[in-house]
Amino acid sequence: MNPLDRDLQTAAVPVSLPVDRQRLKKLQTVGMFCGFAAGAWLGGAEAPIKLVNPEISPITVSLIMVCGVFLARWSVPAFVRGTSHLRSDVRQAPHLVVWAILAGCMWAVANTLTIYAIRNVGLSIAFPLWNTNSLLGIFWGFLLFNELRYAGWRRWLGVVGGAIAMFGGATLLAIASSHEAAPGKAALGILAALGAGILWGTMYIPYRKAYLTGMNPLSFVTFFTIGELGTMTLLALGYRGARPLWGELVAARDVLFWLMLGGFVWVIGDLFQQYATKYVGISRGIPLSNTNQLWGLAWGIFVFHELRGAGGAVYAQVAGGSVLMALGAVAIALSSATEREHTSWRDAAEREGRRYGVEGEYVNAGIEGRAYQETAHRRSVFDWLLIAGTTGLFLALAMMTRLPNLNINPAWAAVLLVFMLGLLITCGAYLWRTTEFR
Amino acid sequence: MSGPTSRNRDILRAIATDVHFWIPLGVLLGGLVLLDHLR
Repeated sequence: MNPLDRDLQTAAVPVSLPVDRQRLKKLQTVGMFCGFAAGAWLGGAEAPIKLVNPEISPITVSLIMVCGVFLARWSVPAFVRGTSHLRSDVRQAPHLVVWAILAGCMWAVANTLTIYAIRNVGLSIAFPLWNTNSLLGIFWGFLLFNELRYAGWRRWLGVVGGAIAMFGGATLLAIASSHEAAPGKAALGILAALGAGILWGTMYIPYRKAYLTGMNPLSFVTFFTIGELGTMTLLALGYRGARPLWGELVAARDVLFWLMLGGFVWVIGDLFQQYATKYVGISRGIPLSNTNQLWGLAWGIFVFHELRGAGGAVYAQVAGGSVLMALGAVAIALSSATEREHTSWRDAAEREGRRYGVEGEYVNAGIEGRAYQETAHRRSVFDWLLIAGTTGLFLALAMMTRLPNLNINPAWAAVLLVFMLGLLITCGAYLWRTTEFR
Repeated sequence: MSGPTSRNRDILRAIATDVHFWIPLGVLLGGLVLLDHLR
C-alpha cells in the first residue's frame, strides 16, 4: 500500500457529497463564461506581437514573451489574492508543484515546435494540426478523469460535435489567414505541428489533476511558469548560444515592451482558461478557449488590415470558418455537465486525494470553489514589491520603446479593447462573486 | 528531522507510481527528441 494512502485513511474526509444543484449550475456557468473570456484575451495577445519587426529570431521572440508571462504569472496572483495562498496550497498538495512544472516544460517545447511548424509548412497547415489539442484533451478528460461519463448522447454530441465543428472552422480560418506558401521539409513541419498538438493536448492532464485535487489556478500558474521559463531559457541558450542570444536581446530593446505586453495579456487569457478547466473540465474548457483564433483574426482583419485586397473566396472562408467556430463553441457551452457526470468527476477527485494523501475537505472545497479554511490572507511586503517591480519594469520598457510605423485602425483597436475589458470586468466580477477567485 | 524528508519521499513515490505521470513525461521527452531533429 502506498504510504500516503495509509496517511489518508486516518486524516482525510471522503470526497463524496454531491454539490448542491444550484451551486453546480453557477460553477458550470462561470466556467463556460471563463472559456469565452479566455478566447478573447488569448487572441488579443497576438496584437502587440504583430507590432514587432519580423526579423527577430522566433526563439528570441518566444523567450522575451515568456519573460513577460513569468512576471505576469507572479504579479497578477499577488495582486488578486496575495502569494500567501501559495503556501497553504503547497502545504495541502505539494505533489502539484511537480505536475505544474512538468506542464510548464511541455508548454515551452510545444510553443517552440509551432515555430518550426509554421516555418516548414505554413500557418494554414500547421494551425489546424496543433489545434487538435482540444480533441486530445477531450480524450484524456474522458479516459483519465471521468469527464463526459453518464453525460448522455446529447451532451456527447454537443461537446465532440462542437469540438469537431471548431476544428473545421479553425482549418478554414487558418487557410484564409495564411500568407505563406508551404516550402520544403513538409514532413518535418507536419510532425512538428502534430507534436505541438499532442504536447498541448497532454499538458491538460496536469491541469485537470491540479484542479480535481482542489488547487487554486492562481497557485498552479506560479509553478507552471518556472517550468515554462526554465525550459524556454535552456532552449534559447542551446539554439542561439549565450552571446548571440544576448546580442539579440539587446538589439530587440525597442520592442521588448510589446513582446512582454503580449505575454502579459496572454496570461490573463490563460488564467481564464485555467478557471474554465477547473469548473467545466478540459473537454469543454479547452475547445471554448480555442475561440482565440476568431479574436486573433478579428485583430488581424480590422486593426491590421491583413486581408485587404483579398478575393471573395478568402472572405467566404473567413465567414464560414467563423460561423463554424462560433456554432461549435455554442454547442459546447450548451452541454454543461449534469449532476451525475459531476459525481463521476468527484470519484476521480477522490482517487487523486487518496493517492496523494490530500485532505478530503480541501478537495471538496476546491471543487465547489469555496474557502477551505476561513483564514484571512493579506498581501505581504513581497506581494507589493512584486507588483511595484513589475509595474516599474513595464513603465521603463514602455519609455524605451518606439511606436512602430504601422498602418493600424485605432477605432477598431478601441472597439476590440472595450470588448476585451468588458469581458475581463464582467467575467472577473462573476468569478469573484461565485468563487472569490478560488 | 525525518518527517519532511519522509513525506517528500512518499510524494515522489506516489508520483512515480502514478501512470498518469508517465504519459505527459513521455510526450515531453518525445517533443524534445523531435525538436532536436528539427534544429
